[in-house]
Amino acid sequence: MDIVVCIKRVPLTQEVDLVIDAGKKDIRKDDLAYILNDWDNYAIEEAVQLKETFDGSVTVVTVGDEEDEEILRRALAMGADRAVRVDPGSRLLDGFVLSGILASVVKTIPHDLVLTGVQADDDNAGVVGVMLAERLGLSHAAVVTRIEKENGTARLHLELEGGMDAVCQIRFPALLTIQTGINEPRYVSIMGIRKAGKKELKVIELGELGLSDADLLPQTQVEELYLPPEAEGAEIIEGDPGAIAETLLRIIREKGVNV
Amino acid sequence: MSTILHPAASHYLGIPGVVFGWIIVVLAVGLFGYTIYKRLVLLKSAQADPRFSNIGERLKGLLTFGILQKRQPRYLWAGILHIVIFWGFVVLGLRSLELVMQALGIPFLDPLMKGPFGGFYGFLKDLFELLVLAACIFSILRRAIARPARYAGSHQFEAYLVLGLISFLMVTDMLYEGSLLHIESDARGWLPAAQIAAVFLPQGNPSALKAILQSSYWLHILALFCFLNLLPLSKHFHIITALPNVFFRKLKKGAIKPLRWDVEDIDELESSGAGKLEDFTWKHVLDFYTCSECGRCSDNCPAYAVGRPLSPKMITIKLRDYAYSRYPVFGPGSPSANDAGKDDNESGAIIGAIIEPDEVWSCTTCGACEEECPVFIEYIDKMIDMRRYMVETGQAPKTFNQILMQFEKTGNPFGKPAAKRAEWTQELADIPVKILKDGDEVDVLYFVDSYGSYDPRVQEITRAIASGLHRAGVSFGVLGRREKDSGHQVRRMGEEGLFQMLLEENVETFQGVTFRTMVTTDPHAFNTILKDYPVSFPVIHYSAYVESLVRTGRLQPVKPVEPHVYTYHDPCYLGRHNGLYDPPRNLLRSLPGMRLVEMERSRDRSFCCGGGDIILWHEIEQEEVRMAAKRIEMARSAGADCLVTACPFCLIHFEDAIKTAGLENEMKVIDLMELTLSTL
Repeated sequence: MDIVVCIKRVPLTQEVDLVIDAGKKDIRKDDLAYILNDWDNYAIEEAVQLKETFDGSVTVVTVGDEEDEEILRRALAMGADRAVRVDPGSRLLDGFVLSGILASVVKTIPHDLVLTGVQADDDNAGVVGVMLAERLGLSHAAVVTRIEKENGTARLHLELEGGMDAVCQIRFPALLTIQTGINEPRYVSIMGIRKAGKKELKVIELGELGLSDADLLPQTQVEELYLPPEAEGAEIIEGDPGAIAETLLRIIREKGVNV
Repeated sequence: MSTILHPAASHYLGIPGVVFGWIIVVLAVGLFGYTIYKRLVLLKSAQADPRFSNIGERLKGLLTFGILQKRQPRYLWAGILHIVIFWGFVVLGLRSLELVMQALGIPFLDPLMKGPFGGFYGFLKDLFELLVLAACIFSILRRAIARPARYAGSHQFEAYLVLGLISFLMVTDMLYEGSLLHIESDARGWLPAAQIAAVFLPQGNPSALKAILQSSYWLHILALFCFLNLLPLSKHFHIITALPNVFFRKLKKGAIKPLRWDVEDIDELESSGAGKLEDFTWKHVLDFYTCSECGRCSDNCPAYAVGRPLSPKMITIKLRDYAYSRYPVFGPGSPSANDAGKDDNESGAIIGAIIEPDEVWSCTTCGACEEECPVFIEYIDKMIDMRRYMVETGQAPKTFNQILMQFEKTGNPFGKPAAKRAEWTQELADIPVKILKDGDEVDVLYFVDSYGSYDPRVQEITRAIASGLHRAGVSFGVLGRREKDSGHQVRRMGEEGLFQMLLEENVETFQGVTFRTMVTTDPHAFNTILKDYPVSFPVIHYSAYVESLVRTGRLQPVKPVEPHVYTYHDPCYLGRHNGLYDPPRNLLRSLPGMRLVEMERSRDRSFCCGGGDIILWHEIEQEEVRMAAKRIEMARSAGADCLVTACPFCLIHFEDAIKTAGLENEMKVIDLMELTLSTL
């Protein structure tokens, strides 16, 4: 079974006081540490586990600059066989452009399954996976929490809204967007990542893909980034822990949650 | 002068005794040599370990801890018994040689033994025969009746067998000498053991005496060679390996061994850590051979004391039993023959098969076991090597993934932004804290480390140290966002590559600044920078630095401390690993109104609080009580109501334990710096 996993490097934003930059269209990123998108980590692990059980290969793809190769090497250390980076130069990327670039790369790689994370931790758009499926003409399923491979098909568990789950069957080739918690991603040590440097990492310039200007024209753009205005209605609950818990429980019940 | 022939010179069934002598010696020595050869095969297949440095220091240790047995009396009665038996062996070795050479018909010691030295030696060896016999009997009774708990899980049968055999050797020589006393007419000086034996012998029956003389001699010789061959098959191998093990002991306490001693570039390594027996170093294999199963390690192990699944003694016993079954004396030449047909990765795997992961994660690296071991068996490096293997093969606790990622990406375990590393200074409005840039010059580089920088409780200690330095007029600075975690935890969690990354960044930053002394909040950071960093920096823990400030009058404690009975808890990485027992105590005694009592377990027997690494991120489920809770009880039974410590992790664990036990009104815990500052 040959699997392609599309991954992304995102800023680590926990505990950071984000600052909007002067242009008001983005945040200041110079101080931020970057990591592999959490959802993608699960997608890679799932692909590697499938490969370990059913043989085949795992190829990881990202669109980004040289620094983004770090996540490819991490994926190689986790057990991926090949890695591809598409260098977009200074192009603006939105879900439309990104899925177009990815489609033109994934098309050239034999695949039974394409995995992406449900969303990326930076813009949380969650659109690249399904757009990519459309462009590749693949059947797809989103927010997958379990994959049971059968012959040429797979039984999937999907997470729906409102705490509901669905079980469905999908025929390969297919694209699945992977939800966190589907597995326990393995730890790869710094030594392991360095050793994975010997595996193949291919770099493709955007120009080599033969995409037209129309293909590379973003369909969405950010007008302005701003912090939400301070709203009223915050209630500070005071008292000993027992009383606080009581009050919390009462409020949650009042808001209609069954507990 | 009697005409009786020496037993070796007598004939038996027409064959001279010397022939039997030669047969016994050749067979026994041959078998012994073969066993030793098999033991050496494993030793040789183990990893490199340079243990030939500082020969002078090693010889000194050999004398102090080997010959003089300095660590033995830490357990007074067992220690005295052991010293008696050990010195008995030293004294009686010559006697054994004398008897064996007689059996071979080469009695080259006989002229010496017939001279004045022989007279003195005869008395001495007789005295020791009695002492050793008494010590063996006491030891047997101790094991059988008193049953010290620390022997649980040890090979008890071997112990009885060997004690019995030693007693047998003493008794046979006494009978031999006793019968000789009756047979030979000439006086041979004072032989207390022989004279006691003679009382029980049939003086007037020459043929019976002759039979006793001959049989006790040959039984003695036979027992001696049985004993010799028993050694490398049992826990009594230590009789041979203990002195070398002491000589080759680890000299740099607190440091962790590199991945491989013989490979400098870790990128060249195919695997990491100890996953199978042969991944340990030869010295660590020698440790396995040397353990006498006395259980002093486990008796002092805090993890064992609180019911965690770790017993250091059992780690050694299990690995040795496994080593002996993997390299059997009679069996295939090398274990590869045993492994045939097994998966390469599976063959010889120790984790999960011989040692459970939580045994390895239970260790706090406090060093109590190593401090206690009379023969210097090492545990910490082995633990770290097994952890390295588990991290590398994805068998480490999953909770580590996030923590290690945060260490890597943000330089601290919390995943907090580096930009906030010096935020603790904001509450020090009137005290300027210099954030050092490349090229800056200060007296003191204050290394705050991650907990000191981000943990709200530890920040209070950090601010107390900064205030103290300021009050003393010390020019000091911190590295702010350029400081990375010291890497103590990362290294002890087994993530060596990440540790190397952190230390390289820190070393580069340190080298960009000019400073006289580096002062740390945390004993762990102090130890790691001092012992684990490849570049030498003048680093010192704040307790020692502040003590010197008080001693030289730059800080003057004048206000009395709050009226408590104080006791001081030695943090493992300050005390045991670095020998800093006195500076914190001196500092405490310099505070006005100080009433200081000592806990029973203090200084090198201090009881770990739970530690500053694994416990923070991995819960050992099998635990009866928290180490910190146990320690609080120890402080209370010493009569103290305020526990002083000098390590942020001790403070956190103790505060937790006091709250959990609801002892807020009876017991207080305070950091040494906070206490000192309150008196200025």
